[in-house]
Amino acid sequence: MKIRKIPNISFLFAGLMFLASCSSTAIVEIDTSFPAVLSQPKVLSAVIVFDDEFVSYVGKPNENTSVSIGKAQVDLLKNAFSGLFTTIEFESSIDNLNTDSGIIITPSVQQIQVSTPSEHYLNVFEVWIKYNLKIETADGRLIANWFMPAYGKTPDVFMSSKEKAIEQATIIALRDAGAKLLLDFYRIPALNQWLAAQPKGSNS
Amino acid sequence: MKPYKLICQLVCFVSLLVGCSATTTIDEYRPTNQPIFIAESEKVVVLGRRDSGHYETDREFISCVTDKVNSANINVVPEQMFIDAIYPWFEPRTAPKGLPRLKRLMQDPTVREKVDYLGIRYLVWLDGSTETLSQGGSMSCAIGPGGGGCFGFAQWDKLSTYEATVWDLTDLIEKGRLRVDSEGTSYLIGAVAPIPLLTPVKSDACSSLGNQLKTFFVVNE
Repeated sequence: MKIRKIPNISFLFAGLMFLASCSSTAIVEIDTSFPAVLSQPKVLSAVIVFDDEFVSYVGKPNENTSVSIGKAQVDLLKNAFSGLFTTIEFESSIDNLNTDSGIIITPSVQQIQVSTPSEHYLNVFEVWIKYNLKIETADGRLIANWFMPAYGKTPDVFMSSKEKAIEQATIIALRDAGAKLLLDFYRIPALNQWLAAQPKGSNS
Repeated sequence: MKPYKLICQLVCFVSLLVGCSATTTIDEYRPTNQPIFIAESEKVVVLGRRDSGHYETDREFISCVTDKVNSANINVVPEQMFIDAIYPWFEPRTAPKGLPRLKRLMQDPTVREKVDYLGIRYLVWLDGSTETLSQGGSMSCAIGPGGGGCFGFAQWDKLSTYEATVWDLTDLIEKGRLRVDSEGTSYLIGAVAPIPLLTPVKSDACSSLGNQLKTFFVVNE
């Protein structure tokens, strides 16, 4: 009798392990490095404020998925902003600033969305990250609140796991954020007008 | 009687194998009949288009074509290495879709300097995908205490369509285009054990495109 019970418990345990592995919960942490940007920065100075919420940001696109992108997005934006300004400082709070020139940029994540193949007809995982860049003058006057969406998708659904696929799509979305920033930052109309109004020769 | 039976079996087997071959068509366009000369120190990069919404040129296919071109003593820079080196100008959002945009991009001194530093002379864009066109038949599998098996017959048609465009990064002109269409039918026969008879459509497309692309280039020694 005892001999029969042990295999039964083993089968039950194996069955539970199997069912646990079939659950659709995905916890993804992005910890990757990004290539240096190839760009000629403008002679401008800027302070980038990465607050605690941004540095440790964990997105929850739905109740079963969490995507931790804090560290990766800070690395990416540090790299991307260095391709836009010649003089750049990174701070953790807007209260600690000791600057009287240039612009102050505070990025924040508005939303992160994940779409899986089971939710649509496409055979790919997709990730959208919606950023907002608050751009201010050194004396605290708002120049623009710039909405910056980024998008990434996997090549196909044949990835090793749901976590791996979301991670891959998120990395592509973060790279896209870097591309969008370098491509469109100086095309923001309000920023352009503000730069045009600055005295020539000053690095704003 | 026995040799007749053997011949019949052989004919059936050969017919099956013939049925699994892909039909491949290659179209080539070049402005001149001159080959594309490439110095030993110059390199080629093969990139996949990834800006379309519903498909993207898969890395496996790009890697396959890269290996074919590489086998002709032409130096090929790995795709990801080039994309990272020139980040963010060849991301899906920013990659030039046509020559006017490429010309504008190459006017940027930092980009031009990096391309020259990497020694890249030609850029080959690959764009396309492999799709299942139609499928038919049915197959059912069952398992029981006495054993199991599959019975039935299934078939599906696949079509690989890829286009390669060669850009000269020094003269900033298009050097030629290649288009390959490869189509074939695969079968799955269920006779207790499932027997797959697969047609290597994508592999045929890669071989044809890669081998034709090799003939575009002549290495100057």
